[in-house]
Amino acid sequence: MKRLFLNNWCGSRLILAGVLAAISLSVAAADPYTIGMIVPTTGVMATVGSRQLATVQWWEGEVNAKGGIKGRLIHLITCNDEANPEKAVSCVRDLLAKGAVLLINSSVTGPIRATMPLIKNGPVMVTPSPNVLPEPNTYVFQTSPSDRDLTRALVEYLHKSKVDRIGVIAATDASGEVGVATVKSLLPAESIQYNLARIDLRATDASIQLAQVARSDVRLIYSTYSGGGAATVVKSFNNLGLEQPLVVSYANISDAFIALIKNDMPRRLLGLGLKGVVPELVTDATDRAHLESFAAAYKKFKGEPIDLLNLNALNLVDTIEAILRDGPDPADAPAVKAWLEKTPIRSFQTLRFSPTSHVGMNETHAAILEYVGGRWIPAAPMQ
Amino acid sequence: MNLFTQAIFSGLTSGAVYALLAVGLVIAYRTTRVVNLAHGESYAIAGTVISLLDHAQVPLPLAMAAGIAAAMLFLWGLDRVILRPRSHWPVGSLILVTLGVAFLSRGVLMLAAGVDPLSFARILSARPVRLFGGIIARQAILLIVVSAVAAIIIGYFLARTRFGRQLRATAEHPEAAQLMGVNVHATRAVAFLLAGALGGLAAALLVPLVPVDFQAGLGMTLRGFIAAALAGMAPGASVICGFLLGLFEAFVTTYGGALASDPVVFLVLIAAALWRSRAIRFEGRARA
Repeated sequence: MKRLFLNNWCGSRLILAGVLAAISLSVAAADPYTIGMIVPTTGVMATVGSRQLATVQWWEGEVNAKGGIKGRLIHLITCNDEANPEKAVSCVRDLLAKGAVLLINSSVTGPIRATMPLIKNGPVMVTPSPNVLPEPNTYVFQTSPSDRDLTRALVEYLHKSKVDRIGVIAATDASGEVGVATVKSLLPAESIQYNLARIDLRATDASIQLAQVARSDVRLIYSTYSGGGAATVVKSFNNLGLEQPLVVSYANISDAFIALIKNDMPRRLLGLGLKGVVPELVTDATDRAHLESFAAAYKKFKGEPIDLLNLNALNLVDTIEAILRDGPDPADAPAVKAWLEKTPIRSFQTLRFSPTSHVGMNETHAAILEYVGGRWIPAAPMQ
Repeated sequence: MNLFTQAIFSGLTSGAVYALLAVGLVIAYRTTRVVNLAHGESYAIAGTVISLLDHAQVPLPLAMAAGIAAAMLFLWGLDRVILRPRSHWPVGSLILVTLGVAFLSRGVLMLAAGVDPLSFARILSARPVRLFGGIIARQAILLIVVSAVAAIIIGYFLARTRFGRQLRATAEHPEAAQLMGVNVHATRAVAFLLAGALGGLAAALLVPLVPVDFQAGLGMTLRGFIAAALAGMAPGASVICGFLLGLFEAFVTTYGGALASDPVVFLVLIAAALWRSRAIRFEGRARA
C-alpha cells in the first residue's frame, strides 16, 4: 500500500514537473528573438566568418543558458553567403522570410553593400566591416572604426617613424577598392607618398606586386588584403627576403592567420587593430573586465584564445543584446534606429552611434600592433 | 628589383605547377578519354594531409610521403570505384561524375580539416637567391627543377616505353588493346596512380609557398586543364604550355596589372581554342 502510494506520489510529481517544463518550454519556444546572421563560412573569407560565427553561437548559448532576455530565448539562424553578393542577397531574403527581427552581417564589403537596399524599411542590421560606411538614414550600423580611421592610425604611426613613402598591396575586390580610395585620399594629404599594386583574390603569388612596390626608398609595406588569401602576400614577402616591416589589414589580426604564416614571419609583422586586442590598452575598468570575462568564457567554449575577429563579433552581439535588453521592440526598426543613435553601447570598447554617423568606433579605438613572442603588442615606432 | 626578371621567376614558379597538373590530367585523359575534373583534388588532398601531419609533429618527409600516397589513393579509387564500373557511360556523363566527386572531396576536406587555409614548412628555407636583378626562393627553384624533370621523365615514359605504348593503346581502343594482351584495368590504374603522384608532388612543393584550403582543387584543375587544352592533351606539349601559361600570366600581371590578368588570359585561351577547333575541323590542316 505504502509502495503504491509512493509510486503514485512520485509519478504525479514527475508528471507535474514534466507538464511545467513543457509549459515553460513552449512559452519560451513560442516567442524567441529570431536573429539572422549572414556569414561566409566557406570561400575566401571563411577564416573571417567562421570565427565570428563561433562567437555569436557562444553568445546564443550563454544567453539561453541564463533563460534568455526578458524571458525570451535567442534563436540564431545563419546563412552562408560565401562572401558572394548574389548569395548574400538570397541570404537576407531567406532570413527575413524566416522572421529575423535583427540582422548580423559578418560578410565583406561587396556582399554587405549588396544586402543594404533590401533593408531600407528595416530591420536593423549590424556589421563589423570597416569598409562599410552606412548612411545615417539607413538601418545599417557599423561597429568597427572606418577604414579611413584605421588608416589614420597608420598615418600617425608613419609620422612617428618618420616614414614618408610606403608600398601598398590591395586586392582587386570591393574591399581593395575601399582601401585604394582611402590611401589615395589620405596619404598624399599627409605628405606620405605610396607605390600601389593590386592583386587578384585568387592569386597564388604576390612577388610581382611586391617587386613593384618595394623599392629601395620604401621603408614599410602595407597589405590591405583581408582573409586567409593574404597569406600569399606574407609568403611572397618572405620568398623575396624583404626586410621592411609588413603591415597586415584589420581582418588578419587573428590566430588562424598567424598559424598560416608561422613559417614565413617577416622581420616585423605589424597590423591595423583595435586597442581591445591588447587588454592593457583598454583603460576603462568595466570594459576591460568585460573583455577578460569574454576571453575566459570563449576559451572555455571553444578552447581557443580570442583574437580581433572574435572581438568584432563581440561588438556585434553586445549591440544586439543591448537592443534586446534595454531598447524598444526590435521589430520596430525606426524606434531601434533612433535608440541606437542616442545610446552608447558598452562592449570591450564603447560604441557611439549618432544621428549623423552609423559608425560606432573611430581612430581613438584603433591601434598599430606588432606580433612579438606569440602575442600582439603595441608597435614601437621604426628606428 | 628588376621587374622583367621577377616576372620570369614568378611565371616559371606558377608554370611549374601548371605543368605538373596538366601532365597528370593528360595521363588520365589518354587512358579513359575522360577529362577528370577531380584531378586538382589530388593537389588539395595531398596539401591538406601533409599540413595536418606536419601540425601533428610528424616528420616532414614522412608527412609528404603520406600526402602523395593519399593523392594517389584518391585518384586510383576514383577510377576503380567510380569510373571503371561506368566505362560504358557516355564520356560527357563521366566528366560530370568527376565534377561531382570534386565537390564531394571538397566537402570531406572541409569537414576533416576545417575552412582555414593550411600550409607547412618549406624543404629549402635558406635565404632566397638573387639573380639578374630578381629574387627567387630556393623552394621555388626546387619546384621548377622537379616539375621539369618529372614532366620530362613522364613524357619519355609515355613516348618511349612499352608501358607508355600500352597506355596509349588503352586510350585509343581498349578492346583491341585487351585482345593484344594489354591488361587494360591495370594500365588505367597505373595511369591514375601516376596522375595522383604528380598532383601530390605539386602540393608538396607549392603549399609551403602558397597555402592550400579545401576548395583549392577546382582552381588547380582549371589551370592544369588550360595548359593541357592548349597543348591538345599531349603530355610533352603540356609541360611547355604549362610553363608558357605561367609566364604569360606573370607578364600580363606585371605590365597590365592584376585587373587585366583574367580577361587577357581567358581571351588568349578562347583564341587558342578557336584556332585548335579550326584545325580539328579541317582534319589537322589549317584552312588556307
